[in-house]
Amino acid sequence: MSKLDLILMGIKNLWRRKLRTSLTILGVVIGTSAIIVMLSLGFGLTYFMEDQISQWGSLTTINVYKKWVDPTLGEKEVKLDDKAVEALRKLPNVQAISPVLETFGTVINGRYIAQVPIKGIIPETMEDFGFEVEEGRLLTDRDEFAVVFGKNTHFWDPKARVYREPKINLMKDRMRITLDPNYGYDMPGQNRVNYKEYKIKTAGVLVDENMDLSYGIYMPIKDVQLMIRDKEKAEGQKTQGRSELEYSKIDVKVADVKQVADLQDTIREMGFEAYSLSDALDFIKEQAAIIQAVLGGIGAISLLVAAIGITNTMIMSIYERTREIGVMKVIGASLKDIRDLFLFESALIGLLGGSLGIAFSYLLSFLLNKFGAQAFGEALGMYGATKISVIPFWLVLAAMAFSALIGVLSGYFPARRAMNLSALEAIRME
Amino acid sequence: MNDFIILRDLTKIYRMGEEKILALNNINLTIAKGKFLCLLGTSGSGKSTLLNLMAGLEKPTKGEIIIGKHHIDKMNEREVTKFRQLNVGFIFQSYNLIPTLTAMENVSLGLTFKGIPRAKRNKMAKKMLENVGLGHRLHHKPSELSGGQQQRVSIARAFVGNPKIIFADEPTGNLDTRTTYEVMDLMTGMAKEFKQTLIIVTHDMELTQYVDRIVHLRDGKIERIEENLMKGEHMQA
Repeated sequence: MSKLDLILMGIKNLWRRKLRTSLTILGVVIGTSAIIVMLSLGFGLTYFMEDQISQWGSLTTINVYKKWVDPTLGEKEVKLDDKAVEALRKLPNVQAISPVLETFGTVINGRYIAQVPIKGIIPETMEDFGFEVEEGRLLTDRDEFAVVFGKNTHFWDPKARVYREPKINLMKDRMRITLDPNYGYDMPGQNRVNYKEYKIKTAGVLVDENMDLSYGIYMPIKDVQLMIRDKEKAEGQKTQGRSELEYSKIDVKVADVKQVADLQDTIREMGFEAYSLSDALDFIKEQAAIIQAVLGGIGAISLLVAAIGITNTMIMSIYERTREIGVMKVIGASLKDIRDLFLFESALIGLLGGSLGIAFSYLLSFLLNKFGAQAFGEALGMYGATKISVIPFWLVLAAMAFSALIGVLSGYFPARRAMNLSALEAIRME
Repeated sequence: MNDFIILRDLTKIYRMGEEKILALNNINLTIAKGKFLCLLGTSGSGKSTLLNLMAGLEKPTKGEIIIGKHHIDKMNEREVTKFRQLNVGFIFQSYNLIPTLTAMENVSLGLTFKGIPRAKRNKMAKKMLENVGLGHRLHHKPSELSGGQQQRVSIARAFVGNPKIIFADEPTGNLDTRTTYEVMDLMTGMAKEFKQTLIIVTHDMELTQYVDRIVHLRDGKIERIEENLMKGEHMQA
């Protein structure tokens, strides 16, 4: 029997029992869409979490800090100095590296001030670390006292009684900067320290990308070093020599997210503390996997019920067609023909149900995202999510293959039964 | 040596729970090619069982069945299926047409299993239905045809693959006398034309006039074998 004849005959057989076939298919549709929609919620959750985390900062950046050591245990402190930078730079998969010297200061713009973290960085690494400007440009190695502002820099008037939106043009205004911790708050009777003020020029303003980057201002690290030395001199502290200078942290940019964990381990072995958002991501992924397994399990039950439905339909169909199967055997159908015919019919039920189920899942997913995002999202702990159901393309293919497989498996037992039916008994049956 | 079908010491025992039923008891029979044979007997005489064994639908408990040079009893399921496709046509008492298929589709169904392409098998089926006088009923479903017409479709189905042997199991059991003669004339006429061996199972003495030999069966044994010298006498009537 040719494949084409088999297919045509199978379709015809299903078509002549339209109602039962469509009810069985409906079962598979429900089963498939249950499993897909449930899993899509899990994917939605994962993507939401990933998105949230990437708002905190870059996933491919490792922040290296000094490790706190207990000297009584004989542990040796590893300094965050230029030697450390050079050592880290030699590690594999390091795309860029920048020591960061962080301090706190005040930007003065006429009568407005902004109290900001000041981050001294190596200017030419900005691009590698994913800085992007909304206005102006990034820092270059020739810049002196040039500043790139984070998006969320808030100016205010310390003398005003009511807050008014300040009229500030970050790109054009003339501004100064000081490390005076009490600038704007005149405290009478206190020993005034004469802090230096430095003229700055704005290089650019960053786009509002993530919380890590958009808060604070960025300057070339050598300028920050200079300001800190001046400040220490003014306060009468002993200054750190150039060689002894330590950084607040060292940022290491990794080429690929997958290499982050390994590199982090290596850095820890060198005696540093290393953090990255990937740590949080791993934990969240584990959580999401558990939620997804539970949701998928619920969906799987409905697909199992649908599979039993297919088996039932096929067995019923054998009872009805017993005589017909007998006749087909007598007039020359091989056992293989009979088996293949029944397997094809059940596989087709599975495949049709699967395909319709996928279409239905897309509809459900669309409706969930459009109307149920808030209610369902909060139930899953996704506050403010806009997309709670995400169907990746591979899931569509997997669902299609799986439903056809379910069809074949649930048709296998009935097909064997049809095959082994005695032709004579079948024909004699009235 | 023109013995086409040879049955040797053929025995078939059915088990019904504890009980053993001896359906066929040591049958020895030879049938020459192109001859018409009638297996005559009451119900329970074993005539249907004999037919089923010869068609390879059941395995004998003991004995040999040789058709042409093929040992039917030694074939596996696949070989028997192939053998049936090539050599055997079936006609049943209750027609056994597939109710959802048209006359033409019913006739071409066996050709489908042989793997003959659609256009060719439709042509063959059409021609055969014209031969049995149903050229104007090609696209009717069995339910839209009379009993005689349905049996003609089933005859067309049996003959369409040009098999060497036609088995007919009570072919006229459901038909009235007039239709019985029509159907029998058609069947024997075609078998004669194509030089086929025809084996009819019946309890109806009327049919014996169409055949060369009559084998009387009783309780699974051959009671006696008659040569019919009057074959074809009715035709003048």
